[in-house]
Amino acid sequence: MKIALVSTFVPFLYGGARNIVEWLQGMLEKEGHQVERIYLPQVDVPDLLFQQMTAFRWIDLSSADRVICFRPQAHLIQHPHKILWFIHHIRSFYDLWENDLYRGCPDDEKHRGLRAALHEADTAALREAKHIFTNSRVVSDRLKHFNGVDSEVLYPPVFESERFHARQYNDEIVCICRLEHHKRQHLLVDAMEFTKTPVRLRLCGSSFRPAYPGELERRIAELGVKDRVTLENRWITEEEKADYFADCLATAYLPEDEDSYGYPSVEASHAAKAIITTTDSGGVLELVQDGVNGFITEPSPQLLANVMDKLYTDKALAKQMGVNALERLSEINISWSHVLRRLLA
Amino acid sequence: MKLLIFTPGLKASAIGRMTCLVSNALIAQGHEVVIVRTEVNALLDRPSHDFNTRMISWSDEKQVLEATAECDVLVYQVGDNYDYHEGCVTWLARLPGVVCLHDFFVGHMFYAWAQKNMEKADSILKHWYGDEVAKRFFKFANNKAFIEGTKDQAPLTEWIASQALGVITHSRWGTPRVVRSCLGSVRVVPLAYDAPGESEVAQGYEPNKFGRMKLLTVGHINRNKRVADVIHAIAGSPLLRQNVVYRLVGAADPEMVIELSTLANSLRVNLVISGAVDDTELALAVGEADVMSCLRWPSLEAASASAIEAMLYGKAAVVTDTGFYSEIPDDCVEKISHEDEVADLRAVLERLYSKPSERVALGERARRWASSTYLAENYARQLVEESIACQKLRPIVTAKAYFVEVMKRWGATDDLLRADDTMSALAVMG
Amino acid sequence: MWGGAEELAVNLQKNLVIAGHHSEILRIPFQWEPATRISSQMLMVRALELWNVDKVIALKFPAFYIRHPNKTLWLLHQYRQAYDLYDAGQTNLPPGQVGDDIRTLITNADNEAFAESERIFTNSEVTRRRLKKYNGFDATVLLPPINDPGLFTGGQSGDYIFAGGRVNGMKRQHLLLDALRQASPNVKLIIAGPPDAPADGDQLRETVARLGLGDRVKLDLRFLPRETYANYLNNAAAVAYLPFDEDSLGYVAMEAATADKALITTSDSGGILGLVKQRETGWVAEPTTSSLADAMSAVFADAAVTRGYGSGARDLWNSFGITWPKTVETLLQ
Repeated sequence: MKIALVSTFVPFLYGGARNIVEWLQGMLEKEGHQVERIYLPQVDVPDLLFQQMTAFRWIDLSSADRVICFRPQAHLIQHPHKILWFIHHIRSFYDLWENDLYRGCPDDEKHRGLRAALHEADTAALREAKHIFTNSRVVSDRLKHFNGVDSEVLYPPVFESERFHARQYNDEIVCICRLEHHKRQHLLVDAMEFTKTPVRLRLCGSSFRPAYPGELERRIAELGVKDRVTLENRWITEEEKADYFADCLATAYLPEDEDSYGYPSVEASHAAKAIITTTDSGGVLELVQDGVNGFITEPSPQLLANVMDKLYTDKALAKQMGVNALERLSEINISWSHVLRRLLA
Repeated sequence: MKLLIFTPGLKASAIGRMTCLVSNALIAQGHEVVIVRTEVNALLDRPSHDFNTRMISWSDEKQVLEATAECDVLVYQVGDNYDYHEGCVTWLARLPGVVCLHDFFVGHMFYAWAQKNMEKADSILKHWYGDEVAKRFFKFANNKAFIEGTKDQAPLTEWIASQALGVITHSRWGTPRVVRSCLGSVRVVPLAYDAPGESEVAQGYEPNKFGRMKLLTVGHINRNKRVADVIHAIAGSPLLRQNVVYRLVGAADPEMVIELSTLANSLRVNLVISGAVDDTELALAVGEADVMSCLRWPSLEAASASAIEAMLYGKAAVVTDTGFYSEIPDDCVEKISHEDEVADLRAVLERLYSKPSERVALGERARRWASSTYLAENYARQLVEESIACQKLRPIVTAKAYFVEVMKRWGATDDLLRADDTMSALAVMG
Repeated sequence: MWGGAEELAVNLQKNLVIAGHHSEILRIPFQWEPATRISSQMLMVRALELWNVDKVIALKFPAFYIRHPNKTLWLLHQYRQAYDLYDAGQTNLPPGQVGDDIRTLITNADNEAFAESERIFTNSEVTRRRLKKYNGFDATVLLPPINDPGLFTGGQSGDYIFAGGRVNGMKRQHLLLDALRQASPNVKLIIAGPPDAPADGDQLRETVARLGLGDRVKLDLRFLPRETYANYLNNAAAVAYLPFDEDSLGYVAMEAATADKALITTSDSGGILGLVKQRETGWVAEPTTSSLADAMSAVFADAAVTRGYGSGARDLWNSFGITWPKTVETLLQ
């Protein structure tokens, strides 16, 4: 089949949305399909939205048998066989509207009108799709609530998951993702104050701004836990990541209210390692079941310390949870074969 | 809500008066209003209605743009008079907003506007009405021929409606053209109007005083008020000739005065031409009138302020059965068919003369109906509703305008602009 | 659709990265059928918002309509059907007023895009001349380098003439078949490359069968792996490339010159005439059966002469100094 993958982007900003497209392309091509990847530039400036959306309506991809759209507002594209793997809305006009900080425009008649128009246009475009998939229950709920459309959750798998495996269960809780405030590595550092076992913590990842890693460093020094916490503020290669996951006791991934479960939690699961997360982390709670393939605690350092200690003390538990984590992936169909089957149905 | 309302401001403008009522109602409902006076520069220093709120001039570009940035919606009061509405037409083309359409026929205003915008005007005529009509439009011999030749073929309703985010108008009869050309919604709302000093006016009234029936026509005396036909109607009945005094109050050209006086004299009809009078005098004239003649032909406006006034004053009114007047309940006014105007009118006037109690009852029904219909409070509320509905349309209209501008810069012809492929995509956006 | 321009973009990006820059390719879908859709495609590009970018290099219509303060054009294609092809009666623009309107639109929009560009380069002299003639803008010719010179080291002088590249009516491989019949019996021909449509391949096969050339012609009609293609080219006696009036030199010609191969082309082939000089780097034949047949026979008449033309082609090509590092430098000036 000739398949066009369409998404929006801001040039030179790379993120999860690009991975999902590029990995899917690789998998489709392996199956023998002809794939074209089309990235369209877009900025979420309120006054420029409708011009850009109109432009997208004029894009002709009729030479493709099927079109799969990802990031907004790619779903505006017209095609007789349009499939959406809907990652998120322009949230400032949807669930973040009530929040002054995130809305990005004043809550006045003009912008309420813009919001209404956007909802209508989105809904109409969504209805044109033959099938709508999302990357999480959270996003599906939002689609139903705001646009009245039904969708199927299709969890994005990780590329070449064979890279991840379990080698041993040492004494380290590992968290590999960007060092940013909303990823909340500081909660893990704070937890080290309350741990009673020699359990260690490894935090690695790059960051956009030096302020947050700086904060983490200060806190580590303050708490006097430098000997038990490793902080690596740099880009971690795929090999290094696979290594850390292979050897660690368990992993932690506890961002603040993220829609999707995040690749780190899936990678950890492929490496058969338990995942520590918190009640307000969002999409990752669709993957983690408390006491089964990890722990879900309130976001308090004290409670986090408790589960970290638990895993250190009871290695058998850590191992078993790791095995469950691997199984969980099949349970909720996080696999490329499932993805391809559903997208090409 | 913050509304920026474009309107003629001068006292002579009935539309200005109506806007004043609506503006006050809006403010009473908790909204903020800024007024933009839209008369030609020469008239901007005439005394205006008391709008009770900030007022700026349409020609002060900076102020208008600043006010636009601060408000939620623009409202344009549009009527068929370029001298009064130049500012509306100029700004409507630049900044979309809600149009309150007072006249379905805006041919006179278009004609005047076209003098400085001939190329655009030609293209507009061709676009809506075709090459044939466009060729003839500026070649009529006189005003009468112009109105005859354009009121049904090229009323230019579409020219205004197509620029609006939404339209409020005041009767149904002319709405098909509006609906066809307006991107947004169209709603019919009874015109806001009032009858100041209504109670005082009612006080002094004595029906058929001295056995005479006072018939009154108010307003600028021109042909479409059918004065000559009224005179003929009275003349055709000895009863009426003896007992009816027909008074004309309002400005009139000297030629018209002579023509009508001569006609009345020759037919021995009692005609009194008062000319223009002040408000007090006018109130007295209305107060003592038995019947008001509000005949019109052709009828091109969406609502008639004078007919509404007559009803609000509780007077028996005679109207032509067309346009806005047809939509008034049958038991509130006497409707005359235009085809049999003189005969119909004669019969109606005879009946009204002979049955004063019926007349009073008619007027009372009219007053009750009018006073609960033509409410500024209702108009204001609907204007706000329409404004909110339009906000949803604005992003699409703005996007479309962006693309049209680019196409025009690239030298696109009208045909290319209308091509299905390009513009139909906008249809999905709501 | 993937063609020369797309390949160029990929290699430009690769070499920009080698030079130390961040580079991404923006491929904009473009539908030109029916012609009444073209205005929407132009508007579409015009409405795109390109942020977080320091510099834009635009290659084709309508991509070069994209708005950016720092835009350089390396013009590979205008929409020829509004310009020279329109004059030649080979256009998809409808006749009459509608077609004229679209042409006017394209011309005005093109001029706007050219005026707002910092620099304009074209990929051939032909394109430069056309730009000047139809739009009045000056440009500098910047010939695109070949993408993998290391593959084209040359080799022995085989017993065949190689005709590579896409197979379709405009590329006119069928002329070589017609000419082969008249050429000396020792002339052999290999035509290898992907047909645009199955019918293009069928036509060649049918011609070979009809003219009974099966023993002298090898048809390898598919998308060739790069090594296979290089192999055919490196071991040919000469390389033939004779499209109808193409803008650019043609990669086949440039790769042939890199590999020291003499070139055969026709007088109406367009850009390639910058590289094929009669009796210096190869043969410029008339687009007739007999003229081409003579050229093809001449290839095998005197091997030394042919090899000499091959060296001549290589020298001429090198003298153009067309390398990727230099190209990147020029574009980023």
